[in-house]
Amino acid sequence: MSGLLQRAGSAIRLAYVAGAMLLLGACATWQAPTDTSDAPLRARAITQQKGSVQVSAAVLGAQDSLRLFGTDVTAAGVQPVWIEVDNRSDHILWLLRTGTDPDYFSPLEVAWSAHVTFGGNTNERIDEQFSALAFPNPIPASGTASGIVFTNPQPVTKLVNVDLLGNRAMVPFTLLLPVPGDIAAGTAVIHRYSDAEIASYDDPDALRKAIEALPCCAASDEGAGGGGPINVVLIGALDDVAAAANRRGYRRAVEPPGTPQQLFGRPADFFVRKTAQAGAPAVWLRIWRAPINYLGEPVLVAQAGRPVGGRFSAGSADESRLNPDVDEVRNLVIQDFMYSGGLEQLAFASGVGAVPADQPRVMADGGGYYTDGRRAALFLVTRPLAFSDVELLDWEPVLPEKQADAGKE
Amino acid sequence: MTHQGWAVEVITTAGMLVGPAHATEAPAAYPGYLERAQSKTLGEVTVSAAALSTEEGAAVYGVPLAEKLIQPVWVTVENRDDVPYWLMFPGLDPNFFPPSEAAEGMATGAGGPTLKELDGRFRELAFKNPVPPGATVSGFVLTNLSEGVKLLQVDLFADRRSHSFSFLAVVPGLKTDYEKSEVFRDKLLADPLLTDYTDDAAFQAALEALPCCVTNKDGSKNGDPLNLVVIGGVDDAFPALIRRGWTPTEVTWKGSVMRMMSSALSRERYPYAPISDLYLFGRPQDIALQKARDNIHQRNHLRLWRSTMSYHGQPVWVGQISRDIGSRMTIHSPTLTTHKIDPDVDEAARALTEDLVYSQGLRAIGLVDGVGAAPKDAPRENLTTDPYFTEGLRYVLVFDSEPTSLTEIEILPWRLPGGGFVEQAAGETTP
Repeated sequence: MSGLLQRAGSAIRLAYVAGAMLLLGACATWQAPTDTSDAPLRARAITQQKGSVQVSAAVLGAQDSLRLFGTDVTAAGVQPVWIEVDNRSDHILWLLRTGTDPDYFSPLEVAWSAHVTFGGNTNERIDEQFSALAFPNPIPASGTASGIVFTNPQPVTKLVNVDLLGNRAMVPFTLLLPVPGDIAAGTAVIHRYSDAEIASYDDPDALRKAIEALPCCAASDEGAGGGGPINVVLIGALDDVAAAANRRGYRRAVEPPGTPQQLFGRPADFFVRKTAQAGAPAVWLRIWRAPINYLGEPVLVAQAGRPVGGRFSAGSADESRLNPDVDEVRNLVIQDFMYSGGLEQLAFASGVGAVPADQPRVMADGGGYYTDGRRAALFLVTRPLAFSDVELLDWEPVLPEKQADAGKE
Repeated sequence: MTHQGWAVEVITTAGMLVGPAHATEAPAAYPGYLERAQSKTLGEVTVSAAALSTEEGAAVYGVPLAEKLIQPVWVTVENRDDVPYWLMFPGLDPNFFPPSEAAEGMATGAGGPTLKELDGRFRELAFKNPVPPGATVSGFVLTNLSEGVKLLQVDLFADRRSHSFSFLAVVPGLKTDYEKSEVFRDKLLADPLLTDYTDDAAFQAALEALPCCVTNKDGSKNGDPLNLVVIGGVDDAFPALIRRGWTPTEVTWKGSVMRMMSSALSRERYPYAPISDLYLFGRPQDIALQKARDNIHQRNHLRLWRSTMSYHGQPVWVGQISRDIGSRMTIHSPTLTTHKIDPDVDEAARALTEDLVYSQGLRAIGLVDGVGAAPKDAPRENLTTDPYFTEGLRYVLVFDSEPTSLTEIEILPWRLPGGGFVEQAAGETTP
């Protein structure tokens, strides 16, 4: 896939499939589904309860799509998610679909991709089928609503945000949903430590010391030579971290660009990549659970980087190499979380070790990077915050961004 | 608010094109954008900003940035406060280009500047955070290209405080467009004779009395429904839209139509496509915005007209929004291509509302009647003969210039529809 197409992502595939169907003159072969029961979805749904609100959700696979819609929308790059909200509060609630996927598809948009040439009445029935099964807002007070939200695909365990808005109220949920056909199915998303392995801190200074004592970098798989720097630390409940990342378009990715890397004696627990249909910066994060808790919540550490060429060479050979200016990407990640509504505190810690631009630290795969040596620590919470609420902790002093001397001989 | 610093001198860019500059000389050698720059002061911070034209961008950077759809925005922050401030790039453009990435995009090899040269030059030109207390920092942020009019949203962050500055910048391009853009901006900023509403019931009645729909030029035929009311302006509503990736678009002109045609054929991402004029109050839209999704087939369109009403002193805009689900050829539009819209037009208004909940600028949401219901089995048609159906409601969005968190958004107890937003629950409690 060329870079542009890759960036364009699934919507363009949707358009292609629609186009291909038109070109092939697909006959009016669509058959109205006969069994649209949600029982199979309900059976494998993941459920979470917060106060008087309960949310259940399940990801649909190709077979589910065929059964419910009479067409396989997953082949068109759409991943339907079934969501049920049981609202026992006295608030009417509203499911914010952009919180689930900033680039979600509308039901009739997906239906349109399934339209048949000269379909006439058939196309109307297709539209009706998609409309009928779509998630119906709002969710009445003391009532239940269920239906489908059409999202962009994630091939592995899907982090699904369900943000429910009420009058001056928000109830956010984050669910980890298995994906039908997931090649990594059954593996835990996050490494589990025993209680004895985890160092717990309640004091920010002690936490800072622990963060600064972590290894500077990942190791290469072969153990010889270094990997990328550990330059981002995410502190907070996994739900809150995932919700903040998801709201800014970070989605789980199957495999990392570049060579495999290890920390704490294992490969990264998972990878995320910033994606957006309108062309997001090509940022990715390798993420590990660290054996550290702070105020009872887990600490995740990450290596933030972007491939050489970024958006301009997606899919090319360059893509596996790390762009050497890792601080630029770290700072971009900080700014993204500023707008996520989940960032409460921000701090800079040492630990990576400064590497000047004219003497980059060489990695095992031949790539290299330079850095001011700072690690960004992001403290994430559930309570939605505006960026004017973010507190800057007095840890390492803030360094001005350097004029690069990369251009100087 | 005042619009001081908005006076603009018309500068033609032709006289400034004297070849690539050395980066460090750029501001002195190319004063066009500096003279266009607009300034505002909030508290102890003064910000100036200007968007560069295609030619200015090429002159300052020494490479044709616009060919990769990149546009530099010049920002100066003068910090007289006692804490450092950070300029937040995603506020200017959620999909902005880090300098190193843009340098990689522009390094073509083939006799041009090397990646190393470009990388050094781009970084030197870049805006560098933070702005220390008592200091002034100037530099460029690389955004996605827009021509004509560009909304510049400068969000500054400091420890537990922030300032947000908004500018409506005119970008010189084709001369005729530039003049049109200037007229356009002046119209946006002029204060019409306002009727201010402070009584909710009277305001709802006034909103419901507005026409159901846009019309064609002579008003003889109804088009898309007016399903949106935006309350706020350059300092509050527009920043929220920018943060969520909405950018202004200009009305149709020939060059852009040609590019849209080729874009429709090649399926490339093209962030700037024209939309056709629709009419309300006897004039075409005052501002049209679009949110590119991936290519010309998926972009959502929003048209706004400034009304003569204000609500608690804030300007009231009446609008129309639709979701494109493809483009098609038509003889009903003078540009010959149009967008196939999602017939469920309420979906588009709801989607915008949901998206703006995350803008940190939305203060309240309400619903009023006024569109008139068009059921699925008896849809109405817009001017390009796309059918649509609707519950008949208008989504009213009230904005605030101070950042607002998600839990502070008020649902106004106006219309209590079956499928509408929210009714006021008895005995408010947090769920």
